[in-house]
Amino acid sequence: MERLHPRIRVVWAVGALLTGLVLGAVLAAVLALPFDRPASTAVAAGGGLGLVVFALGGGFAVLRYRAWRFELQPDALFLERGVLTEVRTVMPFVRVQHVDTQRNPVERILGLSRVVVYTAGSRGADVTIPGLTAERATALREELRTRASEREGGDGV
Amino acid sequence: MSGAGRHLRLHPATIPYRAFSKIVGVVSTLIFVGPAIAGVAAEFALLVVPLGLVAIVAIVGYEVAYFRRFSITLADDALEVSSGVFARQEREIPYRRIQNVDVSRNVVQRLLDIAQVKVETAGGGETEAVLRYVSLADATLLQEELRTRKREATTDTAAGEVPAAETEVLFELDDAGLVRLSLLSIDARLFGGLAAVASIGGPVAAAVLEGVSGVALVAIVVVGAAVLGVALWGLGAAATFLQYYGFRLTRVDDDLRYERGLLQRYDGTIPLEKIQAFAVEEHVLMRRFGFAALAVQTAGYAPGQGPAGGSEAAVPLATRRQVIDLAARIDPDVPFSDGMRDAFDRPPVRARRRYTVRYGLVALALVGVGAAVSAFLQPWPWYVMVALVALAPVAGRASHRNRGWRLGDAFVVTENGFWKRTTHAVPYDRVQTVIDRRTLFQRRWGLATVYADTASSMSLAGQDPAAVDVPLEDVDGLRSSLAARVFEAVRAASRGRI
Repeated sequence: MERLHPRIRVVWAVGALLTGLVLGAVLAAVLALPFDRPASTAVAAGGGLGLVVFALGGGFAVLRYRAWRFELQPDALFLERGVLTEVRTVMPFVRVQHVDTQRNPVERILGLSRVVVYTAGSRGADVTIPGLTAERATALREELRTRASEREGGDGV
Repeated sequence: MSGAGRHLRLHPATIPYRAFSKIVGVVSTLIFVGPAIAGVAAEFALLVVPLGLVAIVAIVGYEVAYFRRFSITLADDALEVSSGVFARQEREIPYRRIQNVDVSRNVVQRLLDIAQVKVETAGGGETEAVLRYVSLADATLLQEELRTRKREATTDTAAGEVPAAETEVLFELDDAGLVRLSLLSIDARLFGGLAAVASIGGPVAAAVLEGVSGVALVAIVVVGAAVLGVALWGLGAAATFLQYYGFRLTRVDDDLRYERGLLQRYDGTIPLEKIQAFAVEEHVLMRRFGFAALAVQTAGYAPGQGPAGGSEAAVPLATRRQVIDLAARIDPDVPFSDGMRDAFDRPPVRARRRYTVRYGLVALALVGVGAAVSAFLQPWPWYVMVALVALAPVAGRASHRNRGWRLGDAFVVTENGFWKRTTHAVPYDRVQTVIDRRTLFQRRWGLATVYADTASSMSLAGQDPAAVDVPLEDVDGLRSSLAARVFEAVRAASRGRI
């Protein structure tokens, strides 16, 4: 089974950092203004919250990385992921409608991409594989498109 | 646009019908705004009436132009619709892509003998063409013409040689059935209504009942809630009656045709090949009397857009036996049968314990809320609610007994739900992805859930076809077996196509 690129943990940690900053700032603002605490307390509390969120998020990123695996099986794309809730998805190639690659600014800086696979489903309408290098993402996308078009069974709609 | 072919126009009554609501809107706005303007500057008050007249003339003029510039053409290969007064729109819908032709009429439209026609194509959440409004005769003609021309286009039959439709009435709801259906209809919105009234009326009632306490208070609250419940149920029954009046399900060639409604009349089609799944639905009261409903799920409507949001009632109410027979008449391979529940795999015993614990926690939480209300707001005998905890094992068993799954020959069948038990049958060649999901709590109990995802657009609150709380030791096997059967069905379908 293939794993994601280790740098994805950095992407997720950056997300946690940003969330921590925002939440810490909000807490500091709430303490300082409506509740009228001295600035030092507010900043300390906000900073503390931000650190906690970042630490938790960072730890979670590591666990998430460990849980993520995927594989191109003979008839389907198989994914395994999730920390609190484990999800395993079998996506038959014939059901693949189209495949995109995407990356946000953080991913771009770190040289990573995502592959998004679309089906006609409702609950599993699309599936995202994060943490791939640009070359691997392009190669995977082409591989999926080839396997999807090879199978003429129809999209089951 | 070829311009050749059969032409149709909108019905002239469209002009007053469309103009009316707009005029009413303008006039009522002026009536509200007029006095305010008069208060500010009396001179402007004089303008209100001429303004109103100008607006009315403009609206009527627009609707006349809309009527005159709306053209419908049945060309050789496609339905062509040109519409719009200022922004013109020309739409061409090839016959072979047409999936549904739905005709609907409300009371006023029935009086004027006009109807709205919606023509839908496959795979989209958007209705492709809406004709507001043609004469009822033209609407019926369009339904028949589009059916014929689609048949010609998709099966290479020569023009004019398409045989008359093979029709077979599958189910008709008689008066007794309609009354039964209305009485048995329990809408989830009923509880929402109860909660809403309770939250608004609660403080009012608390003020009114200021001096009353103890048993008398509880009695008044209970009786009040019961009266309210009956009233809301009555409303629900009336709504159901209006919705399903004159329900009829017919097979027309390869389509299912359903008609229903008293005030608002619906007439829609479901192509058999677009059926994603079947569902036998039995809520608690229906089960008690041996009744059930049959629903078919389709793709092609975005959630909430079709008359019933992607799940249409094929049989709103009949005996369980009739429902099963009807499903078989629509698709002989559907594995519904009287004894099917005995053949299901069911969640293990520990799942029942899990449900009991879950309901016990909910009951304890409710008791806590009751105690808090008693302590801080209004003293009342909250300890009565402790009795709820005793119901937890009962609820747990009920949940457990109404879950099951089976991998049949051509379908995967799943059953879930106590208040409304839904038995889904999904053909393997309609399964999109297979999802194996294990929450933290499920893993603790050694359980997992397997979903068979389809393209049928269910509302968010709708249940999915899922084998819930499968033992962990079996889940990998179930997932693989289901996936293998899907691959096999896909291969068989592609062989059939060659």
